[in-house]
Parts: sequence; C-alpha cells; structure tokens
Amino acid sequence: MDKLRVKVRKLLQEGKVAGYVGYIMKDSHPLPHFFTKERLEEVDQAIVAPGAARYPLDKLLQQVAERYPEDTFAIQVRGCDERGLNELYKWGQLDPEKVVLVGVACPQDQADYCECPGPWASVIDYGEKCQPVAKSQRVERIDALAEEDAFQEWLGHFKKCIKCYGCRDVCPMCFCKECSLEHPDLMSTGTVPPDTIFQLVRAIHMAGRCIDCGLCEENCPADIPLRVLYKKGNALVQDLFGYQTGSPEAGASPWKMLGDESTLDTKPM
Amino acid sequence: MSDTNFEPKIIGFFCNWCTYAGADLAGVSRLQYPPNIRVIRVMCSGTVSPHHVLRAFQKGADGVLIGGCHIGDCHYLRGNFMTIKRMRFLQDLLKFTGCDEGRLHLEWISAAEGPKFAETVRNFTEKIKNMGPSRLKLAAQAA
Repeated sequence: MDKLRVKVRKLLQEGKVAGYVGYIMKDSHPLPHFFTKERLEEVDQAIVAPGAARYPLDKLLQQVAERYPEDTFAIQVRGCDERGLNELYKWGQLDPEKVVLVGVACPQDQADYCECPGPWASVIDYGEKCQPVAKSQRVERIDALAEEDAFQEWLGHFKKCIKCYGCRDVCPMCFCKECSLEHPDLMSTGTVPPDTIFQLVRAIHMAGRCIDCGLCEENCPADIPLRVLYKKGNALVQDLFGYQTGSPEAGASPWKMLGDESTLDTKPM
Repeated sequence: MSDTNFEPKIIGFFCNWCTYAGADLAGVSRLQYPPNIRVIRVMCSGTVSPHHVLRAFQKGADGVLIGGCHIGDCHYLRGNFMTIKRMRFLQDLLKFTGCDEGRLHLEWISAAEGPKFAETVRNFTEKIKNMGPSRLKLAAQAA
C-alpha cells in the first residue's frame, strides 16, 4: 500500500493531477473517495478496496471529468477498470491525456471469481500478477445446454427481474443520455417482470463494450447471472469481428461506424 | 409444437431499394407465396436495429425475415455491412439464450429477384411452421 500512497501523494503535491479517484478506509468501511491536494493527510487512509467492496470508479471519473474538463485526474484501476477507460476513450467519453493510472493487480481468488482474462492494469502500483483465467466455465456450461433448456434457464432468471435498472445504473460503460430500456416504443412499460427481451437488449448494448467488471451482477437484487450473458456477447464479438473489448490496440468498435466493411456471410436458412 | 393448423406470424423488414422492389416484382409476376408475412418497408436494412427484431419477437412474431441488397449493391453503398454484422451477432445471441437462432433470417434479394423473393418467403414460412410457436411468444403470453 505504501508504494501506492507515495505515488498518489507525489502526484497531488506536484500538481500533476487535480485529484485522485480511489478508495479510503473510513470508520472501518472501504469507500470510494476523491482525494485532493488540500486534504493531503487523507492519502494515509488511501487503500485498495478488497474484492467485495468495489465501486464503478470509471463512472465517478466521468462525472468529475465532465465538471472539470480542463483538469487531469488520477484514478485507481484494476485490469477491468483500465479496459473500461480504453473503451471510454474510444467512445469519446474521456480524454486519455487527462487521466493518470494508479494500477492494481488483482489477487488470484478475485481473478478466479471473476473468471478474468486480464486481472491487472498496465502499470502496477499494488499487488502481483496472478494467473489469468482464459475461459469462462459459466459460459461453457450454458453453451453445452440444449436450446430449450438454455431458454428455460434464462427465462427463470429473467422472470426474477424487478426492473430496478441497477445493472445499468452501476455500469461504468452505460453513458447514454437516453436509454433504449426506457424507450416506450421498444420496451413495454408498467410491468414487472419486464419484457423477456429486456436483458437481451442490454446484452446487445454491452457487446464489445462490457469490460467484465461484474458490478452489474453484484448489484442485481435478483441475482440474475448478467455477467454470463455479457461475457458471451464479448466472446461473440471476438469470434465474429476479431474485436477484443477494452484492448487499446483493438481499434474502433465494430458497432461504431456504419459502413465498415465486413466479410461475414449470411447464414443458410 | 406439431400443431398442423399453426399459422405463424412472420415480420419482414425489407429495404426500399432491393428486397421491397423484389417483392413488388414477385407480385406483378403473380408468383405465389404464403400470406403469413407482414412486411415493414425500411429505407435500408442497415437501419434495422436488433431492438426492432427483439421487439417483434416479444410482440408475438414467430419469425423475422430481413431482406437487403446484395453486398456491393447497397443504395447507401455500405449500409448492409452493418446489417450482416448485427444480424449474425443477434442470431448467435438468440442461440445462446435458447431463443432459436433459426427464427431470424437474413437474405440478400435484389429488385430483379422476384422468384427468389417468393421462394425465400415460401421456404421460411414452411420452416417456421415446422418449428412451431416461438418460445419468446409463449413466454410473453404466459406472463
């Protein structure tokens, strides 16, 4: 933790950044916090939050950056958070010139729980690299099911939805001002559970955008395995378009431009 | 599932420049095809969002047929690249969630291909008839 605190303190003291979005231990609770030069003593309480206490820091940074567009900010990032930043740069939501990374490598138990293929940031100020998890067993289990069984399993989950929009509201990648999920021409209103397609519409939006932080699933009061759905969406985008979500080298998202050529063929009837 | 009297509802999203004109040609050529299809004309198949397809299934469609210009013949030059990307992705997502990827079909049909249009609609209707009602529809009706 010392290395991380020294880095943050230095960044703030030297005025390289106007603030640092990270975590603080307050009254023995790990909370997201905005550190500034004016309250430098708080950096002594700066921590890396344990896996069970994660917040969408990328989302908080977007709000701060929108309010202070001229300023540069530091942010604590895990592998997933950094993938999120890369996508947000591509979608024009953040300026990479105005973000400084304070990187974290996740412990093995966190990577195993997340089935994370990249559980560390490109700079590591805390933690050690662990073994990444290349394949998701949760996705493979559904893949192996017959279509009827898969449908019944998903339907059972979708029926539990109370339409709280928690998955969307916590998502660091959900930055749209208008949301299809609330469009009365696309989604029935006034019913719970919502339309069966509710989660599918979100899954479409998450494909090539979801950075697999898993906050949606942790946030869901109905325990819908959203992550499995979005992991599959990203795997499809990789298979079909060769697009690796969150990678800085991947270029623009396959959905971004109307008119990008594709060599895909139609499926036979 | 094997209800012989089952008449599927099929929604067709056809592009104004090719497939819709192909449907016109099938019509003036007096080619027969089943009346199960309800056609929605769009300016380009690339404007058909996966939302529209999912919404159609939610509202009780048993099948969705998308028709666009052949690759290279798009009136807007490259609109149908987006169509193929979206629909291939959606087909695979439907498969993963057990919603029957075969209920969504994309076919390139030009304005000169009236017979191909009629044949595609005939085959697709027959296929959906054999598949029976859509699971998404049954789930929506039960809710």
